[in-house]
Amino acid sequence: MKTRYFVGLLAMLLVGLTLSQQGPFQQRVQQAINSGGSKFAETMKQDRDQALCSQYRDKLPPEEVGAFLERQRALIKYPADGKLMGDWKQGEALFTNPRKGNCYACHTGDPKEAGAGRMGPGLVGYGQRGTSEAVVKYTYDKIYNAWASMPCSLMYRAGHHGILTPEETAHVTAFLLDPASPVNAKR
Amino acid sequence: MRNRSLWIGFLLALGLGLSIALTQQQEVDPYKEAERQRELFRQTAGILPGELYAAQGEELFGQKRGSKNVSLEACDFGLGPGKLEGALTQLPRYFADTRRVEDLETRIVSCMVNLQGFKPEEIKRDDVKALTAFVASKSSEMPINVVPKTSQEIAMYNLGRELWYHRAGDRDMNCAICHDSYAGGKVRLSPVRSPRQGLSNEWPAYRFEADKLYTLQDRIAFCYESVSIHPPDHYSEPMIALSIYMLTEATKGKNKFTELPGFTR
Ligand code: HEC
Ligand code: HEC
Repeated sequence: MKTRYFVGLLAMLLVGLTLSQQGPFQQRVQQAINSGGSKFAETMKQDRDQALCSQYRDKLPPEEVGAFLERQRALIKYPADGKLMGDWKQGEALFTNPRKGNCYACHTGDPKEAGAGRMGPGLVGYGQRGTSEAVVKYTYDKIYNAWASMPCSLMYRAGHHGILTPEETAHVTAFLLDPASPVNAKR
Repeated sequence: MRNRSLWIGFLLALGLGLSIALTQQQEVDPYKEAERQRELFRQTAGILPGELYAAQGEELFGQKRGSKNVSLEACDFGLGPGKLEGALTQLPRYFADTRRVEDLETRIVSCMVNLQGFKPEEIKRDDVKALTAFVASKSSEMPINVVPKTSQEIAMYNLGRELWYHRAGDRDMNCAICHDSYAGGKVRLSPVRSPRQGLSNEWPAYRFEADKLYTLQDRIAFCYESVSIHPPDHYSEPMIALSIYMLTEATKGKNKFTELPGFTR
């Protein structure tokens, strides 16, 4: 009886503690978000690192970076067969499709694609860096979870959010690295 | 899984979609294109669609309506009852009678409820839009002058700034990523401006690509949809907070409103 009472009290204390960790301003922000309607509030929910990026206006202080990158790295999943480079042709379609990668919104890839955005670095000739294990893994990881190498990057975490499956991520990786891909056509 | 068709909707509606990129070999300058479309309207119809909405709003404004059967002529937009000249330039602001910070659209709704006796659920969105176009037309090309002063206005501005940086959704987006980090650049074909550069200074506007009148709230909703976040309800705090944030920054950047209602893509 007594211990149960004690556990209950402890739980209440803990709940109180976590609640009070959210300052009055953050509570006010949450209240405003809720007033926008339940669907808005639902889609505005943040994971821990989205909240951290918002708090620091997308520029993390150095002491936060290490743990942030570690948490993001832990989110990366790989294809069951372990192959990080798939079929570049399927990758091309995924790269282009606005519902999937939508990569042209920010990157040039195949230089023939008109009207590509320039928020991200140009990727024409990306395959020049070769297909060593390190390059392939870096590229795969970047596409699956951009935040695992660059905290709060503009580039969204396509794999983490399920926009690309691990297999699809491998296809897009091939689109960038395969020497036969139009990204790497000799010019 | 959240709805991704919203993202594609954004791209298509903004003319950033693939089909457009492929059919238009040359990148059209969106400003020149808007200018061309505007001239076309002037020549063929003799009137701009925005002016039609404003005329419709003017009629509604003067009509005796609602359960109290009065017009909106006694509505106070912050400069005194019935004073419309330049009213939009100082909105959103705090109103003592409703005890909240209101933007133009919200203020119109408040007056329809409190003055005319409408029930909130009776109010038609299209009426509010036409009325917004009419009242805004009295601030055409005037300098924006939104300076939060009261504690309520300052609090609302701070909320807006927080929402501006709020990263969420499966595109990990916030407003700042496109409108600050990339201001002056392009997302696909669209040039993007920052609040200091005057973002939000052309609304309400007729968007010829959508063939509809968009208020500032509609435009905010459109950007939320584009990053697969369900937009906040009209007249809700997030709408007003983001508006006061953007218009305060536009004031700091010494920007003017364009012709109102605006004419844009
Ligand atoms: C919202 C804009 C945006 C979108 C959309 C985007 N990226 Fe990026 N990307 C960036 C930015 C900004 C960087 C540089 C910062 C970084 O490394 O995160 C980048 C970096 C990269 C890099 C590393 C480049 C290098 O030289 O090391 C690769 C590879 C890449 N993106 C591939 C992709 C692919 C594939 C997609 C589609 C799934 C994509 N990006 C979608 C903005 C974007
Ligand atoms: C993915 C990038 C992106 C994001 C994120 C984004 N916007 Fe936009 N926004 C655009 C583009 C592109 C335009 C259109 C510019 C044009 O066509 O002239 C635009 C236009 C606007 C306009 C009207 C432009 C004007 O000239 O007055 C407003 C206001 C606006 N956005 C507000 C917001 C707000 C508020 C947010 C955050 C909720 C936001 N945007 C998030 C890309 C974005």
